[in-house]
Amino acid sequence: MLTEKILHEFETILGKERILTSKEDLLSYAYDAYVEEYLPEAVLFPKTSAEVSQIMQVASTHRIFVTPRGAGSGLAACSLAKQGGVILCFTMMNRILEINKPNRYAIVEPGVVVSEFQKEVEKIGLFYPPDPGSATVATMGGTVLMNAGGMRGIKYGVTRDYLMGLQGVLPSGEVIQTGSLTAKDVTGYDLTRLICGSEGTLAVVTRITVRLLPKPKARRTLQAIYNTIDQAGNTVARIVEEGIIPATLELMDKMIIKALEDYAHLGLPLDAEAVLLIEVDGDPESVEKQAGIIAEFCRGQGARDVRVSQSEKESEQLWMARRGAFGAVARMRPTCVIEDATVPVSFLTRAIKEVITIAQRNQVQIAVLAHAGDGNLHPLVLCDLRDKEEMKRVEKAMDEIVDFAMSVGGVLSGEHGIGIAKAKYLPRQLSPQTLNLMRTLKNTFDPLGILNPGSFLECAP
Amino acid sequence: MISKNLREEVHNCIKCGICLTPCPVYKQRLVEVASPRGKVQLIRNIMEGNLELSENFVRILFTCLLCETCTVNCPSGLKVDQLMKAMRVKVIEKFGLPGKKKFLFELLTGKRLLPFYLFWGRVLRNNLLPLFPVKGKVGTIPLKKFPRLNRQPFLKKIPEVISVPEPKGRVLYFTGCATNYLDGEIGRATIEILVRLGVEVIVPKDQMCCGLPIFLAGAPKMALPNILKNVALFNRWDVDVVVVECATCGAALKKEYPHFLKEMGEKTEEAMALSQKVLDISQYLMKFDLGKMLKPIKGKVTYHDPCHLLRSQGVKDEPRALLRQIPELDFVEMAEADVCCGGGGTFQWEHPRISENITAQKIESIEKTKANFVATGCPGCRLQIFGNLKKDGVEVIHPVQLIFRSLSG
Repeated sequence: MLTEKILHEFETILGKERILTSKEDLLSYAYDAYVEEYLPEAVLFPKTSAEVSQIMQVASTHRIFVTPRGAGSGLAACSLAKQGGVILCFTMMNRILEINKPNRYAIVEPGVVVSEFQKEVEKIGLFYPPDPGSATVATMGGTVLMNAGGMRGIKYGVTRDYLMGLQGVLPSGEVIQTGSLTAKDVTGYDLTRLICGSEGTLAVVTRITVRLLPKPKARRTLQAIYNTIDQAGNTVARIVEEGIIPATLELMDKMIIKALEDYAHLGLPLDAEAVLLIEVDGDPESVEKQAGIIAEFCRGQGARDVRVSQSEKESEQLWMARRGAFGAVARMRPTCVIEDATVPVSFLTRAIKEVITIAQRNQVQIAVLAHAGDGNLHPLVLCDLRDKEEMKRVEKAMDEIVDFAMSVGGVLSGEHGIGIAKAKYLPRQLSPQTLNLMRTLKNTFDPLGILNPGSFLECAP
Repeated sequence: MISKNLREEVHNCIKCGICLTPCPVYKQRLVEVASPRGKVQLIRNIMEGNLELSENFVRILFTCLLCETCTVNCPSGLKVDQLMKAMRVKVIEKFGLPGKKKFLFELLTGKRLLPFYLFWGRVLRNNLLPLFPVKGKVGTIPLKKFPRLNRQPFLKKIPEVISVPEPKGRVLYFTGCATNYLDGEIGRATIEILVRLGVEVIVPKDQMCCGLPIFLAGAPKMALPNILKNVALFNRWDVDVVVVECATCGAALKKEYPHFLKEMGEKTEEAMALSQKVLDISQYLMKFDLGKMLKPIKGKVTYHDPCHLLRSQGVKDEPRALLRQIPELDFVEMAEADVCCGGGGTFQWEHPRISENITAQKIESIEKTKANFVATGCPGCRLQIFGNLKKDGVEVIHPVQLIFRSLSG
């Protein structure tokens, strides 16, 4: 319980201005982009690691629950105060501390917005590939703790693949350093990767060192339009098989096409059943060559129209629209629940068809979006939270999607995280031994259980 | 007061947060209540009965520039700005207008009809000064940088109908308070250009303040008589087009009047008819081939997009195209030309600290272009930008003034 006295201790660390307790403020930190809400007792805004360390010491002393949060664009309630306590919000700790060109790394504070960081490094010819759909909102800290993926996963991997090191604060208040500034480092356990994707349950991240790449000299976006999902799926398989690695390979079904048209007026045909949005990048000659080969593949699989973007601006518009897909689809119904199951890429077409059947069987509206290149499905379930009966059908459909993914060797979540949304499925993917080991790790980092309580491990049956 | 349609909007917010980063106010404060998503969610909580209308909520609601950046960026197509405006009306019904604003708007709509800018311009310079924030500033703007008043209201100086032989068009010109009381030059330039193009211009003497600033402050009942009078007035004249050179007035006539009237249960047909005739002056001038008539102006010009022109009215290319026509005048695009200048009507007066930081970025973008002219079609933006410019020798100007200069040679 957060008493006046404890609040006062927090105040001596942060000052009054960076602690929010009004009802209005608390309500506005009760949500992220998932449907459930939890009210915190206070919201704290640190600006330095030292402040975070002191806050954690106070929290440990009084056993106050602490939940770290970035911009709140997550999709699984990971950054919500599920059992009360305080939210540790990092939006004000947002400096880019160093961009080191000779060694191609950068050091940032957790509150830096991903797309703003990308813009900064691209100004000097460098490249930070992780690119979640929410990049214009999400913070670096949030993407590290969630191991965010995104549209460039097929070629460039996910956040984890770009982390060199972290500075973190343990629930006790102790500050730890993981990783290093070198490209190679095999010293000890890889705590960087353990903390990455821990959904804020092991340590709070206060400084992030990321690896940068040279910025690709050229990029091209292709847009292929299909009459059937099969044709689109087969194209994906063909591209992957042939050993071409596009930077992104996105698939959108009919409903997504319609929603995007309403939102961005891209001129997509409303009668098409699927669209592939493909980006290739690299040296100008190889980009031209790859774009040509991919366009051939698309036509070969029956694409009725293949368009290549003629300018950077045209590509940008397409990707902007794609970023808004989640919201654009939500125009159709008030609530949108995003599934995130991922299957081995050769099962992609089957998985999409399965999702469509599941939707029909349960009389639920599902639009399908997929990071097709890496088998990451994003079925968007359209519903109305206020309709209890409908929500039951939605849940059943979700269960069935998970069933299918598991049956072909897939995973529960490709990039959105488990949070509370999928905790109940956890034993389907992780064995009791694995779960046990994870719980032991959690206990080692956080023996008092004050960091992000109510998270996936605790919710799991 | 909040219509059923708007009430439904709150349920369409999927809380994705895409509105956060582009919001100029959020960018400064970095707390959720400063963001559009935060405000929409609080409104939802109020509607669902989880939150009382508190003074704190009122403060939050009014910490918004109404720049509409959120509305145009929302992938779910939420009418965020309309929701905020409707909510402002609701809270003002309960809490009343703050003293300073009430006084201001009474002047604006009262019997003596001292409009907005007359107020800013004249009252601030004399004995009512103590009513306002101190240190020689109103909000973020030093008093000495407030423009001088027209010696005589512009509408008094010109005939109601300015005829031309064999007219190529017949327009009604809505001057707005700023031109009438502060920037008579802009009115003169507008009329001169139109006349040289062979257009007959009607400038109704009894036009009134468009009422938008009053409405946006949450006091629609005060604004209603103005709106009704203006709507009736415009339909009395048989014209092809109603031209407006003030971004805010244009937004009012083109877009907001029908909404306002609908929300207030008034008839909307006449306002709809009017809205379809309204064009921003830049849109109207682009219909003519001005290029041949223009003489060179030396120097560099940059353009700032007023929120009420870009987002409310969707006018982006025409003012730029207009300026690019001027021979030898170098057009330089500033970074983030479409980001709000931080003025936001009375926002800069109520939230000087936030406003100051937003404006500082605008000024930086302007200075980087090394332009001699900053052109923009909104009196509020001109006041805000001029008031905060650190360097001398940069002229903040309406695009029609540059066109007029170029025409005159």
